Amino acid sequence: MNEQSDVLAEDLSFWDKHRFLLLIALTVGIALVLVGISMTLYASSGTAQLDLSRPGYRSVSSQAVNTDSDFENYASSGQINKAALTEFNALYQKQAVKAKAVDAFSGDPLDPDVLEISAPTSTN
Amino acid sequence: MGRIRSSCVSAKNTLNQLHANDALLRVNRGQMYESMSTKLMARFNARADSNHLNVKDLMAVTQDYDTTLTKFRDDYKSYEEQLYAALNIDCSKEPVSFYDAIAIARTQRAQVHADVIKLHQYIDEYQAAFDAFTADFNKSNGAAN
Repeated sequence: MNEQSDVLAEDLSFWDKHRFLLLIALTVGIALVLVGISMTLYASSGTAQLDLSRPGYRSVSSQAVNTDSDFENYASSGQINKAALTEFNALYQKQAVKAKAVDAFSGDPLDPDVLEISAPTSTN
Repeated sequence: MGRIRSSCVSAKNTLNQLHANDALLRVNRGQMYESMSTKLMARFNARADSNHLNVKDLMAVTQDYDTTLTKFRDDYKSYEEQLYAALNIDCSKEPVSFYDAIAIARTQRAQVHADVIKLHQYIDEYQAAFDAFTADFNKSNGAAN
């Protein structure tokens, strides 16, 4: 019985003997490729800029608006009549005021004078 | 260059805070601008169109708004990447590179602000187009009665 097993073991190729290792290596390789693709998509799609769980954003992440339940959907089907127009007008005006309330990215905080860094006089 | 080196730490602290605050602004304002299009403009256009009403002007404004919204996203992405790159420069060793990187980020931030102003203009334009649509609707509806 033992002799038979030895003969069979000798007939196996290198990859037959290390099938489990090959499986692990393939699994790790596929996982690395998928992680690489995910990270590329994460960076290129602009998702990274919206991810406030990244280091450096912890101080402001709690201030992010997670739900916009206050923002009511207008029904995309139905009749158009005076009541429907009045309803839309009220909804739109309410949200337009909110959308325009903040003059985002205004000011000039990157002005060298604000940052107290003067222009270099020479690059040498 | 001496001034950059001496103000290096305080400038980086300011930039780190700005980086975080601008990210929050991007998330909150971006969500609001997105909802204006998807929850109001597009839905009203679809409803009016399905009622065989003339929505040409409303559609045109919505399209311009969506194009500007895409530009806002792209411009913010470029700005954030540039600011992040500037933050990773060792300003005590490379003051000129640091200064130049900040200068580019400054221009890109101004572009993001220009996009915001344009979005606000299109929000007003849509309101004007909607008012014209309503007047037209009332006129034709009154004429029918």
